[in-house]
Amino acid sequence: MRRRLFLGLTALPVLAAATGCGSSDDGDASDAGSSSGGTTTVKVGIIPIVDVAPLYLGQKKGFFSERGLKLELTPAQGGAAIVPGVVSGQFQFGFSNVTSLMVAQSNNVPIKAVVNGIASTGVKGKDFNGLMVKKGSSITSPKQLEGKKVAINTLKNINETVVRQSVRAAGGDPDKVQLVELAFDQMPAALDKGQIDAACVVEPATATIRSQGGVEIASPLVEIAPDLTVALYFTSQQYEQQNPDVVKKFREATAQSLAYADSHPDEARAIITTYTKIPPDVLKQVTLPKWPAEANRASIEALMKLGEEDGLFKKTPDLDALLP
Amino acid sequence: MRGVNAALGAAGLAAFLALGEAVPRLGLVKDDYFPPTSRIADALGDELGDGAFWSALGDTLTGWALGLVIAACAGIVVGVVISVVPYLREATASTIEFLRPIPSVALIPLAVLLYGTELRSVLLLVVYASFWQVLIQTLYGVQDLDPVADETARSYGLGTWARIRHVLWPTALPYVMTGVRLAAAVALILAVTAELVIGAPGLGARIAVAQTSQAVPDMYALVVVTGLLGLLINVGARSVERRALAWHQSVRGEVMV
Repeated sequence: MRRRLFLGLTALPVLAAATGCGSSDDGDASDAGSSSGGTTTVKVGIIPIVDVAPLYLGQKKGFFSERGLKLELTPAQGGAAIVPGVVSGQFQFGFSNVTSLMVAQSNNVPIKAVVNGIASTGVKGKDFNGLMVKKGSSITSPKQLEGKKVAINTLKNINETVVRQSVRAAGGDPDKVQLVELAFDQMPAALDKGQIDAACVVEPATATIRSQGGVEIASPLVEIAPDLTVALYFTSQQYEQQNPDVVKKFREATAQSLAYADSHPDEARAIITTYTKIPPDVLKQVTLPKWPAEANRASIEALMKLGEEDGLFKKTPDLDALLP
Repeated sequence: MRGVNAALGAAGLAAFLALGEAVPRLGLVKDDYFPPTSRIADALGDELGDGAFWSALGDTLTGWALGLVIAACAGIVVGVVISVVPYLREATASTIEFLRPIPSVALIPLAVLLYGTELRSVLLLVVYASFWQVLIQTLYGVQDLDPVADETARSYGLGTWARIRHVLWPTALPYVMTGVRLAAAVALILAVTAELVIGAPGLGARIAVAQTSQAVPDMYALVVVTGLLGLLINVGARSVERRALAWHQSVRGEVMV
């Protein structure tokens, strides 16, 4: 999902410079979020994956329209387009994982988290994310990954933190694990062919690997903190200051959508078919994430500490400034 | 002769499709990752019945056509101006040689930064990639100008514009057409790449969604569509070239005396 993030990271220094010199998109920023007849249209940069189902569902249920918001959900390929897009005003809101946001924040990119995105289910062996090996592999514990090839979607991001922590928690040395970057969707095939020894995957690749008899040797998100907050919806500091009212409405409507999706998993599953192409038999097997309305700050702090230990941030991210 | 060629072409394609069906069926590769032709054809059928597919196709073609037109016009105008104005060629040669090899995809972060997932980011990449194809061919074409013909035109008192129109342009046109034909293919590649990587709406973005959704046959079906599109564009470009150069020796062949 956030596999194109590295492009976004390359763009960050340029971005910081661009915003420092005053954005040329002021025109766009003021006409976006334009209201006509009491309805404000906001563009949300999303990744077309399971995670964002609540927005689609909330939109269908009218949670946004009853607050005078019209969502324009714009699928992007990942943080590459979303973080810069939000900062430059092409999107009013965006969806990104917590580590990406902390990395951006520690690079002085002016962003502000608005409302929760997704959280781990917190149930070992029943999470949307898993550290998996192929059928019949001799590896049964993350400790045995020392010297082995483990695929993650993006280096120096959330999955690097979680895999390293899993190995550490099992008594292994994370520095001895060979992490390789691979898109989630390519992991099942790579694992099957033995090109990698283990993969840190998310749905629907998790379901695909399970259906092939793959075995989960750890639920990394569960081990980091209970009910780990994985991703958040965010906006730019500029937009938040200029449109506090819209941000408040978006937060309320999204929180309502998250709660609704969480308590109506069947409807959430049904809406996923409208914006992804996940085959029905795979979708049935997919483990949905949790969609609590509130971000879990303690879990984000845990993620931050581990990220710092692994040298992900230039300086300690300022959670007070970042989190809602 | 044409009939035989067509038959051979069809036979080759049929053999290729049959191979695509047989290899996964025989278990030589896993059909999860490399589905047989028939399953891809099924998925293709589903795609064709989906309105979203057609709008994605429209988006891709829009990005391709707009980008190609902009690149071709700019390439021709800049190419002719650079060649005709004294010293400009020497002054720009090093800059062109510096900019030309920069791969368009390297501009993706810039495109994202400037235009996000809009059509304009696709256009930036498409125009950048195809502009050089046209420009370089135009420069070569103009260079090929016969000095005797040019001097003759001069001595008959033709002005700059008339010489460009009647002497330079007919000489350069075959080169320009080659440039445009190459640019047409490059433009399609870049349009799909931009959609695939940035997420701008179009076939590329649809391929990306199929890929992240583990919908493997769908993904191949869409890849086949982009391949067919490339084929059509190439055939189209060739026929345009033939028509535009019907008078030219390369197309007309030797005149029987």
